[in-house]
Amino acid sequence: MLQQLVWSNELDIERIVDKYGNMLFRMCLVILCNENDAEDVVQDTFITYLTKSPPFNDSEHEKAWLITIATNRCKNMRRYNIIRKHMDINDLQLYCKDDENYGLIEHLMRLPNKHKIVLLLYYVEGYKVDEIAKILGITTSAVKKRLQRGRELIREKYRKENE
Amino acid sequence: MMNFDKIKEAVNTIEMPKTMKNRVKKNCNIIEKKKNFKRRISVACAFGFLLLIMIGIPFFNNNGNFQVANFTITAYALSDDGNQPNTKLSSDKATFELSTEARGSTTDITGDAANFIFTKLMLNISGEHIDSITYTISKGKFIEDVTLTAKEYADKDWLLSKKIFMIGSSPGSDIYDGTKEIGNTYTVKYNEQDKYKYSIAIPHDGNLVIDDDIIIKVIVKYTDGSSEQQEIVVTQESNSIKSNSISLKLN
Repeated sequence: MLQQLVWSNELDIERIVDKYGNMLFRMCLVILCNENDAEDVVQDTFITYLTKSPPFNDSEHEKAWLITIATNRCKNMRRYNIIRKHMDINDLQLYCKDDENYGLIEHLMRLPNKHKIVLLLYYVEGYKVDEIAKILGITTSAVKKRLQRGRELIREKYRKENE
Repeated sequence: MMNFDKIKEAVNTIEMPKTMKNRVKKNCNIIEKKKNFKRRISVACAFGFLLLIMIGIPFFNNNGNFQVANFTITAYALSDDGNQPNTKLSSDKATFELSTEARGSTTDITGDAANFIFTKLMLNISGEHIDSITYTISKGKFIEDVTLTAKEYADKDWLLSKKIFMIGSSPGSDIYDGTKEIGNTYTVKYNEQDKYKYSIAIPHDGNLVIDDDIIIKVIVKYTDGSSEQQEIVVTQESNSIKSNSISLKLN
């Protein structure tokens, strides 16, 4: 029975890494701007998932839980590892398939964390404002403000670059 | 003009390298195996502990004391107030204030009665699958209180043949109370224990003091042919106000 449990856990690891690995990695990479830190956070998130084995209502619940854990870990890592070198844009090419989007990703990466997390969840993962508020544990008005400010900051950077 | 919908397109071009993915899987598996190992250890410890309890339970009696045999011995005595206190014997002393029922007014046929303290102390065994019980006392004897008719009372030879050595009577009654000697050992069937009300008579030094500890050996024979033994140590409470306080405990 215990052996079956071991096998089922190994299968579970395969499944969650295949299903959510990319999503969590790109989110962590954009937030942390460092691939090693991003890998550490992704791994920590999956280990937390395996250790706590929380019950989920559906896959959306599971995904939201993983994002909450990963974003919190990113915040902690940034807090305690603030002097770590950010990723060079050339390194980003190793992970990006499309050259055209480097500029946009770079703009996003240079935003303050609180703004880029909200932008990522809204534009990339397609969450609604109230869903983001739940995931991040903040109010909907705070989410709206961060979205608005994030957009303004990107526009500003984009404008400056084009001038 | 900035198109924010392109953010999705841009970010989605980032992919976790396969080597990194495999590394994450591998590390997760290592941690999971460590966790399972700890879980196995915990399960094994819990199982071992349960096993220890299961093995250990038969060796502890109801008082929580260590007990080698699978049967319990209950001692009960007739006290002055007519109550019948009883105690399951353990390694802790159980003290009984014995009945001071006078036997001095009785007729002693053998002349031996004055040498004994008649305890009115009886034993009972409880357990499962027990066939018979054999009691053996190191000093003293087991006795039985019997009732005699006037005819029996008058027949001294019959009384001696039946080992009824002491007789008492109530004034104006033609019913006599006799004390029958059973001996220093007897065997009863487990289911017939109630039929045999044998109490203990302990020899004393002439001043109602018991010199040495007395051992009662209890051997229980089970229905499968196996047997177990327990020993009871009988002592007199020297510091007791009443000289007729007797203590029993398992050896």
